[in-house]
Amino acid sequence: MRQRSYKQAAKVEGGLIAVLLALTAFGAGFLAYWFVDRRFIRQDVPQAFRYSMEELTAIEPFLLIYRQIRPPIETGLQTAVALDVDSEGAVWAAGDQKILRFAADGRKDTEISLSSKPTAVKAADGVLYVALTDRIEIYSSSGQRVSAWAPVRTALLTSIAVGPEDVFAADALNKVIHRFDKQGNSRGLLGAKDSQRGIEGFVVPSPYFDVLIGRDGLLRATNPGRQRVEAYTFDGHLEWHWGIPSVKLEGFSGCCNPIALAQLPDGTFVTGEKGLVRVKVYDDQGRLLGVVAGPQQLGWKGPIRVCETPEECGSRGLDVAADGQGRIYVLEQVRNTILIFEKNE
Amino acid sequence: MNHPPSETLSRRRFLKDGLWTVSLAAAGAAAAALASRSRAKEWVWQIDPYKCIGCGRCATHCVLSESAVKCVHAFEMCGYCDLCTGYFHPDPKALQTGAEHQLCPTGAIRRRFIEEPYFEFTIDESRCIGCGKCVVGCAAFGNGSLFLQIRHDRCQNCNECAIGRVCPSGAIVRVPASAPYLLKVRNP
Amino acid sequence: MGLILSAAAVQAAERFPPPQFETDYQMPTLTTPPPRAAVWEFVDVGVLAAALGLASWLTLRKRSRRGIAALSVFSLLYFGFWRQGCICSVGSLGNVVLSLFDSSYVLPLTAAAFFLLPIFFTLFFGRVFCGSVCPLGAIQDWVVFRPLSVPAWLETTLRLGAWLYLAAAVLFAAVGAGLLICRYDPFVAFFRLGFNTPLWLLGLLFLGVGVFIARPYCRFVCPYGLLLRQAGRLSFWHVRITPDECIQCRLCEDACPFGAIQPPTAPWPESMRPAERRRLVFLFGLLLVLMSLGGWLGYRVHAGLAAAHPTAELARQVRLRQAGLIAEPTDALRAFDVSGRTLQSLWTQEADVFRRFAWGGLLAGVFVGFVAGVKLIQMSIHFKRTDYEADRAGCLACGRCFAFCPRHRIWETGKPTDSGETS
Repeated sequence: MRQRSYKQAAKVEGGLIAVLLALTAFGAGFLAYWFVDRRFIRQDVPQAFRYSMEELTAIEPFLLIYRQIRPPIETGLQTAVALDVDSEGAVWAAGDQKILRFAADGRKDTEISLSSKPTAVKAADGVLYVALTDRIEIYSSSGQRVSAWAPVRTALLTSIAVGPEDVFAADALNKVIHRFDKQGNSRGLLGAKDSQRGIEGFVVPSPYFDVLIGRDGLLRATNPGRQRVEAYTFDGHLEWHWGIPSVKLEGFSGCCNPIALAQLPDGTFVTGEKGLVRVKVYDDQGRLLGVVAGPQQLGWKGPIRVCETPEECGSRGLDVAADGQGRIYVLEQVRNTILIFEKNE
Repeated sequence: MNHPPSETLSRRRFLKDGLWTVSLAAAGAAAAALASRSRAKEWVWQIDPYKCIGCGRCATHCVLSESAVKCVHAFEMCGYCDLCTGYFHPDPKALQTGAEHQLCPTGAIRRRFIEEPYFEFTIDESRCIGCGKCVVGCAAFGNGSLFLQIRHDRCQNCNECAIGRVCPSGAIVRVPASAPYLLKVRNP
Repeated sequence: MGLILSAAAVQAAERFPPPQFETDYQMPTLTTPPPRAAVWEFVDVGVLAAALGLASWLTLRKRSRRGIAALSVFSLLYFGFWRQGCICSVGSLGNVVLSLFDSSYVLPLTAAAFFLLPIFFTLFFGRVFCGSVCPLGAIQDWVVFRPLSVPAWLETTLRLGAWLYLAAAVLFAAVGAGLLICRYDPFVAFFRLGFNTPLWLLGLLFLGVGVFIARPYCRFVCPYGLLLRQAGRLSFWHVRITPDECIQCRLCEDACPFGAIQPPTAPWPESMRPAERRRLVFLFGLLLVLMSLGGWLGYRVHAGLAAAHPTAELARQVRLRQAGLIAEPTDALRAFDVSGRTLQSLWTQEADVFRRFAWGGLLAGVFVGFVAGVKLIQMSIHFKRTDYEADRAGCLACGRCFAFCPRHRIWETGKPTDSGETS
């Protein structure tokens, strides 16, 4: 090893100062660039990596033929699941382990405690049909349990429709509609895949599956995985269906919409979509008549949520109902509020 | 050159030895305190899937050129949808596997027909860059079965995670190395 | 009908199940490759301890620059390129501070060991860690081609930057704003061979400077090095330029590229004493002034520092948006919007962050002021030295000076020295 003395180096102190100054300047400039560049200027993520829905959320104002008429009803529920409107115009909301009744003016006047989590609620025949995962219970409007039906084996009943002699319950787990008589006895199944009758079957990828009895006496059910609404006779004949998959307003967006269905007094239908949250009105052939509320009206904040617990991120859809005056009620499941809309003059 | 040990020197010596002993004792005490607070427990970084907003920084900010973050699929949550919004653009022209219909910028998701009307979607990890675009698409409309996780066969376990620093929702957290994943569905 | 679904499965998870397939489709399971086995962490500690032991032996007994250099290459390869710069003792300082202030963070034993082992070895053997084991030191040690000597006043002044960095690193780790030392580790990009432009530039900057000013990171930046400096002052054994006795040949005078060789001092004339005493009194007063000034400054900049905390930054962005100054929301704002968090909770958290930064900034400022004052006092105290000695604090135990000492050469060849009886 050659011995090098550092003595001669000591003589170039002036050079050292110059080197130091240059380095300080360089370092300061570098750090300033780094700081500014990283924090404020450059959007670090290429556009190709980003999923953007913002441009889809705007809706032309002239298409919005409904307006919100009252401040929303805060249900106070942790997990609101379903709602219905009874013949008196009172709103029933199901969630947590209870059913709440809100009078027409929005005040809560009844609370019914349940033994487990409700999954659907339907006000009909002057009583309340409540689905509790796999079984149906009937409550009087004052909150007394009138009867409890035998549970359906491994089912998730997400909607109830009540006819003159029949009760139908949509089963999201088995992708069929159960038909009962008013005593709760099974009268068969509807909508199972059947190529001979031309039934492709329901595709229900998430616990949203809605059914109702139309004013024409036919059953209507959502088929979210196929982005359509299907009309059945009570005997299970598929009469026709409507709806197309599209993020455009006339269609149903995403993988699995519509998730909620209601009928207005004039026979038209209200549909609810999750994801790109929209509530729209269609006629019986699937022609778009107008928009009740879009993402901006329904408090949509973004395509994905940030939650403290998995449960919080669990439900994020909506439910719709309509009353005798043609008002539309939307249960928004992110904030657990009920929004009430009325048609513009 | 022997110096006779002067009085000052020996006093200094004594002081110094004393200081040394005291500081060694202090260091020992500090060591004991630290050791009692520490455990034979290592931490690793992981993404809390319920906090992730799929911003794309996992693809761009990992110290590795190819991010340690990859998309994973909780099949138990998947709807096996034909129109998978994690696979297709929000408004696909056709439900086909052509690149122009796909959301993934690297074509890392494989779509396979299972039976009418169901399709299986699997992640080709060698292609996945962890941008989370599919995660957002799946969460927006579907069940959120696609989500990002730090893959520990790749992660260098930096003391300060470079992605965690820029994560806009604080989704990157320390987890015990004994339970290194935060899965949406726990593995059996 | 396909009503064959285990009720347990449905109930257990309350998760909506996938479809019931009619074909015999088998659902794939998600793979979860495990992290590095815990045993390797202990291997790392073992390697560290062994390297420190070997370094002490090579430096103090064997007095082999060649051996030290070889060990430093090993350390560079193992702790640098193989372990990719993590875990390292320098960065473990952040973990220790974090574990003291964040009750949810339990300090891993390995981090504790990496933090403590070099300090213990330094207390016994001097800064052998810096010389042979630290990968950050090793990489810089290999570019010391044209070292310039830095005058003592400049060296001391520049080192104040390291104290500032130490204070900032402790402050940031304590308030949960990140581990600065690891974030700005200049060589980690090399170790990982990963591409990160700013870090590569930073690393190249340090190596470039290191050609002229030997080991700039160790001397003017490294916060852990400051701890080892203090331990080094007290080291029981430490590097000695000469194996036996100094013959005042002055050959080693310029042997140290780090300026850590202290020449003998002439005794101060008796007449200087009163002036010296007066100056000391003045400097003690100045110490208090500097501490107050530092505290005041630290408190003044705490709001600016707090901006580095994500919560404070988010709150700032929310306010800017409320004022209409942010049109396109940032991702942090988007994330805030899609979380259920209320503004009130954000303001509360922000206030808490500011409170912690205010206290932290104050204390850090007082600390840096204290260090500056003590440095001034130190420089004006007269230390008596009769031989050429390695500065225990500044000596990085690289062993370069050995070969300059003629006594070492004699000792090395094994010939009996003429003054053997004194050793």
